[in-house]
Amino acid sequence: MRDRGDGVSAARPAPVRPTARSTASGPGRVLVAVYGVFAISASARAGVQLARDWHEAPLAYGLSAFAAVVYVVATVALARGSRRLAGAAVAVELVGVLVVGTWSLVDPGAFPQATVWSGFGRGYGYVPLVLPVLGLAWLWRTRRAAPSADASAHATP
Amino acid sequence: MVTPFAVVVVLLALALAGWALVFAVRDRAVVLRQLWGAGVVEAAILVQVVVALVLVAGGAVVTEPVTFWGYLVVSLAVLPLAAVWALAERTRWSSVVLVVAAVTVAVLQWRLLEIWGTA
Repeated sequence: MRDRGDGVSAARPAPVRPTARSTASGPGRVLVAVYGVFAISASARAGVQLARDWHEAPLAYGLSAFAAVVYVVATVALARGSRRLAGAAVAVELVGVLVVGTWSLVDPGAFPQATVWSGFGRGYGYVPLVLPVLGLAWLWRTRRAAPSADASAHATP
Repeated sequence: MVTPFAVVVVLLALALAGWALVFAVRDRAVVLRQLWGAGVVEAAILVQVVVALVLVAGGAVVTEPVTFWGYLVVSLAVLPLAAVWALAERTRWSSVVLVVAAVTVAVLQWRLLEIWGTA
């Protein structure tokens, strides 16, 4: 926040930012950390569920595995600054948590076992619902030039 | 699992989270002393692993062994990974990363205690 210096920026020359800001620095570092935690825990959980009781709740466990993959992709993409991939993963996540969240409330019978996205991520303190919103906001905020132009024209080391 | 010790680990992790939170609020980056603090929490988790191994070897039954050991391994990995990730950033956000990691460890330890309790 403070490095933007919104109120006092007129006093000094604004830094020239030809390229988009990194998605993995500043607040982005925290975002990647939280995504990483979710990627690890969701993968571990889905792995256990699929290996042991796949037949008990194929839909719920299949969705858990899918969610885990999405979190892993989002984590790696945000950490490496692959904006397009990160945007896609985060968007899929937002749609997933909204659809599965609604579905699990309308038809609880379809989800005998909870997934990360059931009840809009209630079991995880609604973090799965908040995270994609923060992710999209962060991607939006760090973008400077057109996403396609900055990615190809300036390969910042 | 020895309940009092698990509670101690949870409290240590929460203390570390609180310390890092103060730094984050004051706009400061993680300092070396906090990493020593993280080392203390990490050592406590290691003791926890040894205790669990000894108890299981002595005949204690864990109802969900895969989940239990999974949580233990993940809780061991969280702080070192977060420390590396945080150190590359010399701003307040490194402190926030440490808060996230420490709270995660506390939650994982709490979950471990619950799983063990149902055994």
